[in-house]
Amino acid sequence: MNKELEHSFVEQLQKHQNIVHKVCRLYTNNQDAHNDLFQEITIQLWRAYPKFRGDSKFSTWMYRVGLNTAITLYRKRKRSIKTTEFENVQFKIKADEYDDTEDQQLNLLYQAVQQLNDIEKALVFLYLEDKDYREISGTLGISEVNARVKMNRVKKKLRTILNP
Amino acid sequence: MDELDILKKDWNSDKSSYREYTDSEIAPMLHKKSSSIVKTLFYISIAELFLWIIISALPYFLSDDMRDRMEKSYENPLFITLTVIGFVVIFAFIYLLFKSYRSISTTDNTKKLMESILKTRKVIKYYVIYNLAMVFVSIPLSLYFEFNENIEFHDQVAAFNPKQMVVMAGIIVVMMVVFFVLLLLFYRLIYGVLLKRLNRNYKELKRLEV
Repeated sequence: MNKELEHSFVEQLQKHQNIVHKVCRLYTNNQDAHNDLFQEITIQLWRAYPKFRGDSKFSTWMYRVGLNTAITLYRKRKRSIKTTEFENVQFKIKADEYDDTEDQQLNLLYQAVQQLNDIEKALVFLYLEDKDYREISGTLGISEVNARVKMNRVKKKLRTILNP
Repeated sequence: MDELDILKKDWNSDKSSYREYTDSEIAPMLHKKSSSIVKTLFYISIAELFLWIIISALPYFLSDDMRDRMEKSYENPLFITLTVIGFVVIFAFIYLLFKSYRSISTTDNTKKLMESILKTRKVIKYYVIYNLAMVFVSIPLSLYFEFNENIEFHDQVAAFNPKQMVVMAGIIVVMMVVFFVLLLLFYRLIYGVLLKRLNRNYKELKRLEV
């Protein structure tokens, strides 16, 4: 692949790298894993780039490849770290009372999201990124109605995690 | 305001700062090695292809005696047919594998991407099943030919009493079963570990459609 293509790709990715970081934030829970997933998503984006035609926005296209990589393709998992951190999270939520302070609440919310499964996280991610149900259903390959139903279930699940 | 809306406000604020990579940091990342499951699946399929080709070619190269006997057996139309089928299957496998790898695209929606990967895994599975079936066909077949062609073996077997016949048949069956179970466990282990997460997520997506 020629240098020009590489240059334009790097330039665009640099500009929109926050999207990749956000995917990594949801699907990993330590800095090493975050960097590792960032690396893998970058490779997958670059591989798919020749097929990227300007008919959709670069950022929209990134959501798809990024989520697909995080949910389906990514293999390197640091299991031991994941399980211990996961246990800590559960312990913490049970131990702490729901606090009024905004930061505390946000912290608990992020921890609760970490406990969702891969598909639920994808729904949350797209929701947080302000995507409508048409785009959510298109990205995941489910119907719009089912995306809506699932989203409501995810919200309910989050509430249960936060108020056991 | 529900929980997710509280989160959304923070999510889109500039408070959460990530390490910002520069152009010169991103560029080398493009050429690093991928560790995706598709790549691993690809290596496994190539290994499968060669493993079974080697297994079927091994007797031919291992001993002169075997080679002579195999060459002789090619006078038999049944063996010629089986060999031709073998080659057709190998080429068909390569073609199908190539086709299904080409269809795996990260720009598809998540469900379709998972389906393409699972389809590729199925192609490998059928190739393995075919080879296993061939092993099971060829063992009794070669014993039958040995019995007809090899006078020594023929006399030995013919002199067996019914009890010895049962023991011999039992040994053959047990060996085949052990071989089969070992292979099954081996495959369960590789694909089980590799595709565990994919299968779980695919089920989750499918469950939504019911």
